[in-house]
Amino acid sequence: MKIEKWNPCVKAFTILVSVILLSFSYVVRLNVLVFGISLFLLLFFSDAKPKSILAILTPAMAAAFGLFMMGLYYARGNSITNVEMESLSAVPYAVRAAMSQNLETALQLSTRLLAYAGMGIFFALSTDGEFFIYSLMHQCRLSPKFAYGILAAFHLMPNMVREFKNVRIAFRVRGVHAGFLSLRPMFTMLVNSVRWSESVSMAMESKGFCPEAPRTCYSVPGIHWYDWLGCVLVLGGIVSGMIFLR
Amino acid sequence: MRREIALHLEDVVFRYLEKGKRNILDHVSLDIEAGTITVLMGSSGCGKSTMAAVAAGLYPENGGYLECGEIELYGNSVKEMDQQQRAAYLTMMFQNPDLQFCMNTLRKEIRFCMENICVPVEQMDEKIRHAAKVLGVEPLLDQDLHTLSGGEKQKAALACLYVMESRCILLDECFANIDREAAEALIQMLLWMKQEGRTVIAIDHQADLWMDVADEIVILGKGGVPAARNIHRGNLSEHAAVFEAHGLFYPRECIRQARGCSGQEETAVSFRDLSIRRGTAFGKGRKKKVPEAPYLLEHADADFPKGCMTAVLGASGTGKTTTFLAVLKQHPCTGNIEINGVPLDKIRSRELYRQIGIVFQNPANQFITQNVREEVSESIRVWNRKITEEECSQRASELLESYQLGMYHRYSPYMLSQGQQRRLAVLSVLAGGQKILLLDEPTYGQDYRSAMAIMMQLRKKMEEENLTVIFITHDKMLAHTWADKIYLLKDKKLTECEVNR
Repeated sequence: MKIEKWNPCVKAFTILVSVILLSFSYVVRLNVLVFGISLFLLLFFSDAKPKSILAILTPAMAAAFGLFMMGLYYARGNSITNVEMESLSAVPYAVRAAMSQNLETALQLSTRLLAYAGMGIFFALSTDGEFFIYSLMHQCRLSPKFAYGILAAFHLMPNMVREFKNVRIAFRVRGVHAGFLSLRPMFTMLVNSVRWSESVSMAMESKGFCPEAPRTCYSVPGIHWYDWLGCVLVLGGIVSGMIFLR
Repeated sequence: MRREIALHLEDVVFRYLEKGKRNILDHVSLDIEAGTITVLMGSSGCGKSTMAAVAAGLYPENGGYLECGEIELYGNSVKEMDQQQRAAYLTMMFQNPDLQFCMNTLRKEIRFCMENICVPVEQMDEKIRHAAKVLGVEPLLDQDLHTLSGGEKQKAALACLYVMESRCILLDECFANIDREAAEALIQMLLWMKQEGRTVIAIDHQADLWMDVADEIVILGKGGVPAARNIHRGNLSEHAAVFEAHGLFYPRECIRQARGCSGQEETAVSFRDLSIRRGTAFGKGRKKKVPEAPYLLEHADADFPKGCMTAVLGASGTGKTTTFLAVLKQHPCTGNIEINGVPLDKIRSRELYRQIGIVFQNPANQFITQNVREEVSESIRVWNRKITEEECSQRASELLESYQLGMYHRYSPYMLSQGQQRRLAVLSVLAGGQKILLLDEPTYGQDYRSAMAIMMQLRKKMEEENLTVIFITHDKMLAHTWADKIYLLKDKKLTECEVNR
């Protein structure tokens, strides 16, 4: 069974609660376990591409490493006082630092970041946007006006990308240099988007879309026993980890 | 026996701003009989599209101010219905095929439409199957909508309206940018719908396209007031003067404006053994590979003579625009392209753009400033680094005057009409003294009169300054009227075709 099938609203709830729980925990092994399990599930029980996992994880890894180094050297403002042993003065600074309690703090911080990153990509890469919107509409009473508005905007993206490329080519041919984040093509896109959103909303209305009126629904994402089972398993696992892995 | 009236407008007055002085619709009264195909024609800015939006109830709900007037669909007042109820009587199809879908595939879009009008879930699949079969859109059902061609998108949009079973279908210039074959296929679909008892109201400016199927052509004058009614195939010739007076294209009139190329002139652009693959790559280098994509152009040769107007004809999706991009070093290609005898590889990009300018399908995409005068003077400055401020603004004013845009010099380019925008785009692209102009669908989104005005102006400029113009179009009539030389892009080849004289 794929995690894509897991009801997105229940999944989001589960992950949100897990994140809050983890922020109270200082258990390094638990953090690493959460990160590892997230990756394991993504790799073997979902359609996520390893390439996109890597693309998101690389910056997260870098941040975790940065946090680790910072925690190691600069924690609690008193640097390495805990292992102030004369005999060890010949040992390099980094090793002495690692022998101090700072190592624990640094690991706690950096692995927690990794655990968050793991859960984040777990949700992001195993959830279909459309399914999530439908689920929000049916489980969380998101108004159809917002839901279909978001969907329409979402599906306009390929057009916007194409137009943006056209705008940039047009600028280049006119001899105007427009850098990656230059404001000029952005302004043109802004004018376009205002016009487009108006056209799309009018097209939707003319096809009978009326947010207040009742509507039938072709597919209603339901909540099944296994959705809650997943939730209980994850939260139970984290709570027991907090208790037993200390 | 009195026939049922599908759309009834009585003394409608509508304007965009409540305090505004100009009424877009000025005391319009119009009745359209049920079960007919009616074509509304009129010059741009006469309020046809506004009338459509008012009839569909989209205005004043989405903006504008309806001062007075009664609008009824099959005897029911539009004001008293919500969107869902209106959809049972009237649904609309729009000009821009990209901007009328909410979902990403046709199947989902049709479901969305049916959900809107509360079709029971268990009937949906059957209805989709039936509609797809009747209209022949089965292959489109599960394709990503944004990968379809313009004509296919419009077919998809029509399929949605078909499934919704509303009694009247209103088309707002839906054929403006699709090729003739696709338009004819769509009209065939509309004919079937008429036979099922539906009413079709179409806003369009190609009378010849509708001549065989329309029950009535209505010409709208200023303020959307009908100027002539009951025009049909039989009495068309009596109304030639009315067509003329409203700047509309009168079928079977084709005055050739080109002088033809004598053949011994120099070439401005030439293709030798040129191959281009389809692909989304807009990458920087021409050498960048578009792997394994199908060919759009294969071993094509072509010569575009200097000082002439050359048309490249072809159905949409055959790669006309991509070929232009290759000339501008914005799409990879193999083979040789020469500009004035110099291979493209040997010309640096900046130097290339000093020689070639391009006006895209949507000129609004290429404005670099927020002011008409700035638009031109900025262009002059880019290409003449040493020019003084006074000289620059002097030249900008002269250019604007010569294109009859002088009075708009304080406007934002986005406030101009489509025709004016395109004129401004041509002007600002040529402000740097470029001698080769590429035009992508110069008549897109315009009426006959302003399209002709632009072509006329280009013709004049061409003769005065020895400009070379290459334009791509799907409109055979336009090509045969204006071009000295015509290439047809078909089956991955560019073949020169005979110009009708």
